[in-house]
Amino acid sequence: MLVLPPVLFVAVLLLLPVAFITLYSVGLRTNIPGVPTAFSLSNWSDFLTGGGSAFRGRFVYSMEIALLVSVAATLAAYPLAYFLSFVARRRRYALLLVLLAPFFTSYLLRVIAWQIILNNDGVVNSLLWTLHLRPKGSAISWLIYSNFSVALVLFYTWIPFVSLPIFVVLENMDHRLQEAAADLGASRAATFWRVTVPLSLPGVIAGFVFVLIPTTGEFITPLLVGGPNNQLFGNSIQAFFGDTPDWNYGSVLAIALIVVVIVLTLVFGRFLQTDLRTETRPEQ
Amino acid sequence: MRLTSRLGSAGLAVYFWAFVIFLFAPLVVLLIFSVNKSATPTLPLSGFSTRWFHEAFGNGELTGALLRSIAIALIAAVLSTALGIMASLGLLVLRGRAAALALTVLLLPLVVPYICLAVGLLILVQEVGARPSLVAVILGHCVIVLPFAILVIMPRLRSLDPAMNEAAQDLGASPLAALRLITLPLLAPALVSSSIICFVTSFDEFAIASFLAPSGQPTYPVFLYASARTPALLPEVIAVGALIIAGSIMLVVLAEGGRRWAERRLVGQTAGSGPLTAPDSEQPATFAIGNG
Repeated sequence: MLVLPPVLFVAVLLLLPVAFITLYSVGLRTNIPGVPTAFSLSNWSDFLTGGGSAFRGRFVYSMEIALLVSVAATLAAYPLAYFLSFVARRRRYALLLVLLAPFFTSYLLRVIAWQIILNNDGVVNSLLWTLHLRPKGSAISWLIYSNFSVALVLFYTWIPFVSLPIFVVLENMDHRLQEAAADLGASRAATFWRVTVPLSLPGVIAGFVFVLIPTTGEFITPLLVGGPNNQLFGNSIQAFFGDTPDWNYGSVLAIALIVVVIVLTLVFGRFLQTDLRTETRPEQ
Repeated sequence: MRLTSRLGSAGLAVYFWAFVIFLFAPLVVLLIFSVNKSATPTLPLSGFSTRWFHEAFGNGELTGALLRSIAIALIAAVLSTALGIMASLGLLVLRGRAAALALTVLLLPLVVPYICLAVGLLILVQEVGARPSLVAVILGHCVIVLPFAILVIMPRLRSLDPAMNEAAQDLGASPLAALRLITLPLLAPALVSSSIICFVTSFDEFAIASFLAPSGQPTYPVFLYASARTPALLPEVIAVGALIIAGSIMLVVLAEGGRRWAERRLVGQTAGSGPLTAPDSEQPATFAIGNG
């Protein structure tokens, strides 16, 4: 029964807060003094179908950015993992560490570094001025506080992490299957597209989800490198619990985000689960 | 036939190293501007100076936030690793639906967005009549890093031979003594990894700390965020940031080096190729296995 204390710990500090958010989202609790508490779905209907179209738009925009970043990071990570597993061979663990090292440094510092690079008088612009490629003082307008900067920084943040599950799948692949394909006359390209890629799909999907889930709830990157039009859904939640508090409406948004993430996890859960099993069962 | 042609391999290598440059460039930018004389991080560079390091460490608010974060991360690492040991030992003996349910609850923090957990904890603190505090930050951090601890400790625990623990108990050790003398020392590499991962994650965590740290007591990331929007503080932040980046990369390299060293030793002991059995030794290799 050693498992009980940690399970209770998570129950009290994760499930209970989520239960409270749910109560706030339907008006059974409130932080606004003087407002009577009673069951009400008005905030929900406002968000889903009513006047909360700004938040629906924010939600769609966030999902678009998250999908774009996840697809781009997965596509870009595949050759990295492939290089490590099939070309680097003996040095592959050392090189994997090189790839992952930035991921272990402070996230906030990396975003700040990008802010310094992309700023209006930042590294890129001032380099162009120094080289007389642009008139001094004129900055590239889309470089920061834009869709580009938010997507770039998120892509940068997650790409080392995506290459990891793809690398693991490629490493555990039965290489005799690729040899058999070659023996039976398949070209390198055919072996890659018809054997290697299909067999590595679980890792690809795991990597994709590893980015999609955290970027769906992301709010720090847009605060530092996004403009007013590039704030994500997480920023809307944050605002309702910050300067202009309305915990009831904020709770609606928070529950919506949790539901979306749990649905994503359930849809893709099969692939994550197989990953977990191979990790936790060394005899396989 | 090789899987990739010579040209393909070269292309992949170029791609890989280009990406390494892309990944490290922002870190290098921070390192460069940490020793740049000018107060604004812009080109051309204005000369070498260690001024910002001196100013950073003379800034009581910055060092205070740094120490606060180190203390929080240490406590969170110890607490979550302890909880991770309990959870892993407990999960080992659970079967069927109970095991699946417990594992689901324990890994749930991996999927709940930090921003949602942060506002949930803010509500919880309010509902129990407390105020935001560093204790709340520590507890929040423990929740989000507990799955990491379990995912590191459990595979290691499963790979241990249960016979070793049974042997200890057959020889008269109480279950607690067997845990202390046999299981925990064998888990040591996983416990070290778990502590490092939990420490680093807590030290870097912003969402929960930004909602739960009291206004006069920011953690380092909360301070960092505030300073990133204050141009006057930026060079000091860059200087400390450069130190932290250099430190964490060194930590990663050391941890990996240590892990490999420990693995080589373990492999050496069990495979009989350790320093005790020279290749021309007359002792049979099984002797080493018996002792290892």
